[in-house]
Amino acid sequence: MVFNSLEYFLFLPAVWLVHHFLGQRWRWLFLLAASLVFYASLKAPYLLGVITFVTVATYAFGRWLHRAEHPAQKKRLLWGGIATNLLILVGMKYVPFLTENLNVLLNLFDSPIKAPHSELFVAIGVSYYVFQAISYLNDIYLEIEEPEPHFGYFALYLAFFPKLLQGPIERAGDLLPQLKQKYEFNYENMRFGLLLFTWGLFKKVVLADRLGLYVDAVYDDVHSYQGLPLLLATYAYAFQIYFDFSGYTDMALGTARLFNIKLTDNFYSPYLATSVADFWRRWHITFSRWILDYIFKPLQMAWRNGKNWGTAAALVVTFLVSGIWHGASWGFIVWGLLHGTYMACSVFYRPYQKKLHKALKLDKTKLLHAWQVFVTFHLVCFAWIFFRAADLNAAAYIVTSAIDAGRGIQVLVPGFGKYQLAALLLSLAVWSCFVKGRLNTEYLHGLRCYNRWLVYTTLVLVIRFFYVNNAADKFIYFGF
Amino acid sequence: MTVIEPLTAIFREVFDDDEIILSREMTADDVDGWDSLSHVNLIVTIEARFNIKFTQKELLTFKNVGDLLDSIQRKLPD
Repeated sequence: MVFNSLEYFLFLPAVWLVHHFLGQRWRWLFLLAASLVFYASLKAPYLLGVITFVTVATYAFGRWLHRAEHPAQKKRLLWGGIATNLLILVGMKYVPFLTENLNVLLNLFDSPIKAPHSELFVAIGVSYYVFQAISYLNDIYLEIEEPEPHFGYFALYLAFFPKLLQGPIERAGDLLPQLKQKYEFNYENMRFGLLLFTWGLFKKVVLADRLGLYVDAVYDDVHSYQGLPLLLATYAYAFQIYFDFSGYTDMALGTARLFNIKLTDNFYSPYLATSVADFWRRWHITFSRWILDYIFKPLQMAWRNGKNWGTAAALVVTFLVSGIWHGASWGFIVWGLLHGTYMACSVFYRPYQKKLHKALKLDKTKLLHAWQVFVTFHLVCFAWIFFRAADLNAAAYIVTSAIDAGRGIQVLVPGFGKYQLAALLLSLAVWSCFVKGRLNTEYLHGLRCYNRWLVYTTLVLVIRFFYVNNAADKFIYFGF
Repeated sequence: MTVIEPLTAIFREVFDDDEIILSREMTADDVDGWDSLSHVNLIVTIEARFNIKFTQKELLTFKNVGDLLDSIQRKLPD
């Protein structure tokens, strides 16, 4: 069951009602059971086995790690816990990719031996709770956190349904204390949670899914297009993936808020970033913090004697891993390497860039800011081409054919006619009205009652009349 | 030997600011230009000047200047 499905619109109020009327001592158990039912509804029964295994193993390793006295023993237990979790993740996500490439290699040498063909598992959610499990073990090892003694609350920390399928990736220190807090009805949280959920739904089913029609039409048949449509589809994808993922995150945050729980926001106007490093502070924030804390920093420190070269290498490796995490395909690997390389280069040229800006008296001017936003957005879009294209050939075609001023001034494509364009522009106008007001509690408090209801009604009406009916019932980041 | 004076000198040199006055509660947010890149330069310079080596675990758990001072102090011969 996904957030934008009818099942969820029945499931959520039912869970909320039971949770509301239950006694405090049973609430954790009920939320855990509801989370597992939610997970079981994906119709991949082995996923329940996977989450149970990860939960039990991580809980046990956490306790052992805390009890161990000798530093070497602590280190072994940390690596044991991490390896167990990574094996699960690799087993679920990469076996088909590895066997396929192994077979290509074996064919090259005319080997009679073949690796067995393996089916891709549905691994929705696995990377998110595995990441949380690894961060939990690390925080115990670094003595930032104590291990959670209560197995039930620990299981709920990994499985809590609003963030189970697609994050945000929460740290134990942020989420566990909130899960243990005594629940009391809170009108503000209720209102804000519902509004955030609706706002996220609007971003997903109206904006992301409509942009997706255009993107799919072009990207699934790139060789039929030249020039402008390729460029527009690339911009459209940049916004589709943003609305899809940040819409999902708003729905997750909104759902959690109904239970008085504040999850961490994943997005902060990412396309207004002034550098690629700044982009990663604003895009999928909980994930980039995770790779920064658990991959980049340890590597950077281990390679510190290489100074700038060590940092640059740590950046490339970190983002290569991030690319591979998104999926076992060469497109994601190129995407990760591009981001790693952007940032590795800036390690070397940034001091000179700053001096140049000062010499030209451009530092802190609006012009420079606008230029930096423009360049960053285009660097990010260039990398998105490899992320979205069906394969490297298609991506190479887009890169060479998108900027072709002479040909292709066509805007509309089959499957995306003028009515679609009008609906898209209208809903983008609604989005820009609300996003400027930052749709937050303080803003809503400042509104008169009828204006507040105008906001609610507009959102509901736009969703009712402009949602995209034929879009696949899934979110882009379920795949990762 | 007091650590705070030579450490202040290193901070002033790495961050190119002669007005830095260190306190135990100071964090990266309090010093202009103290980001992950300059942090590496800072650590490498400290290790070279004091002729010490931090462990990976120490480097990942420093929360403020106080933690850094204590760690250096522990590593110096009495």
